[in-house]
Amino acid sequence: MTTAPSAGTAIGLRGVTKSYGEAPVLDGLDLDIPAAQVVALLGRSGSGKSTLLRLLASLDHDVTGEVSVMGTVSVAFQEPRLLPWRRVWRNVVLGLDGPEDNRANALTALAQVELAELADRWPLTLSGGQAQRVSLARALARRPDVLLLDEPFGALDALTRRSMHALLRRLFAEHRPTTLLVTHDVDEALAIADRVLVLRDGRVRGDHLVPAVSVHDPARRQALRTTILDDLGVTPDERD
Amino acid sequence: MTISLLSAPSRAISHLRADDDVDRTAAGPGVIARSRRSPVPRWASLVGVLATWQLASTTKLLSPDLLAPPSTIATTGWRLAGSGELGSALLVSSGRIAIGLLFGVTAGVTLGLLSGLSRWGDALLDPPVQALRTLPHLGLVPLFILWFGIDETPKVLLIAMGVAFPLYLAIHSGVRQSDPKLLEAARVLGFTSWQRVWHVSLPSALPHALVGLRQGLGLAWLSLIVAEQVNSSAGLGYMINNAREFLQTDVIVVGLVVYAVLGLLTDTLVRELERRALSWRGAGL
Repeated sequence: MTTAPSAGTAIGLRGVTKSYGEAPVLDGLDLDIPAAQVVALLGRSGSGKSTLLRLLASLDHDVTGEVSVMGTVSVAFQEPRLLPWRRVWRNVVLGLDGPEDNRANALTALAQVELAELADRWPLTLSGGQAQRVSLARALARRPDVLLLDEPFGALDALTRRSMHALLRRLFAEHRPTTLLVTHDVDEALAIADRVLVLRDGRVRGDHLVPAVSVHDPARRQALRTTILDDLGVTPDERD
Repeated sequence: MTISLLSAPSRAISHLRADDDVDRTAAGPGVIARSRRSPVPRWASLVGVLATWQLASTTKLLSPDLLAPPSTIATTGWRLAGSGELGSALLVSSGRIAIGLLFGVTAGVTLGLLSGLSRWGDALLDPPVQALRTLPHLGLVPLFILWFGIDETPKVLLIAMGVAFPLYLAIHSGVRQSDPKLLEAARVLGFTSWQRVWHVSLPSALPHALVGLRQGLGLAWLSLIVAEQVNSSAGLGYMINNAREFLQTDVIVVGLVVYAVLGLLTDTLVRELERRALSWRGAGL
């Protein structure tokens, strides 16, 4: 499963194929992600993006090809998946190695997502956005080399999503984990990522670096957006 | 004119809307509150029944050999409590329940966890337990008497069986119903298998287990009552059986009331346990 990757590569895939029954979900996928890069993985439902994330998280071992992931991996799922019967702070540090499983560590991680004051709440009393931030704090408390985010903002309203994007950008700048963000939202990908990968029918159909200047260059950003939508196979009358 | 023509229908519409709102609120919480509010206090009919009973006894319509009047039952209860007779009977019966529960809860929890958490446990333990469960355990009394005689062992065993089966079933299914998404998250987050059991599987099973415990307690009391009817030289059942010999219906009813109060008491205890252990489900901080 693990092969020697080229120096500075955090995630490396060679000819990775995964099929459920006949149709391959991932079809001979090749991919290299350098350390500390933030990659958005775009694709329609069924394009294999969640499958890819699951195999990088070692939740799926039944694949052919070579997969190498350097260092520790942490995941934030589409739903927060907090243990409802443990206080917020316990949720953040549970599962960490003995000495790291303490309240001070939890409070530090919660402070980074600006929720330290909710440390003693029950998860069921949190709003969707708060729970998702706790889930993010839990992933970051593990100080992962590789952070996998599976549509973590899918269930949030537009305003909360925007503040989450800003939060993520700040956290990335601070922690610099290699990040793979699965999303189906082109604007979210452009807002967060250094690089956008488009997955279609189990293959990479588009691989675009997002220039930092594009935030302040609407024309260039729009051009990139159009290219990505083409890669996704979105027809002109499907576009907003 | 034009204005009134234009405004008339719009007023009509707004009027309709307002009416709609009124109707909705009236049909909403209002109706529920009305249907819950009884026309008389809820204890009124109960008092009525007691009064009729008392009246029937005083007018000799109801023979005290069949059923003593409430007033006699109350004084008898007071007398039995004062003489210590009730206290010692209560102590014996509670002791039986306590030992039976100890064994039954231990067996139910242990077997439930073994079969719920391990595939081997499930394959080996669940079939025989499910088969035993279909037997009416109170029907085992004759066999138990043959096997264990007529003293404490068969009584305690019946009580233990009463509580063990519902608890087993609840824990078995509770553990199996743990959210696979939480288990998956626990795996990704580096939980050890012990931590997965302690922080995910067991807490998921707890609400089920407490419901099972309440059911089991009901059956345990029932088992005690049946077991004590068979042969006892002490305890509430002995007191009741003894009273039957002398047609003391007042003592019999006192015994039954005490059984009921004890059952209510243990049920309240479990409810309180539920409230504390499952506080995470409420909105409390």
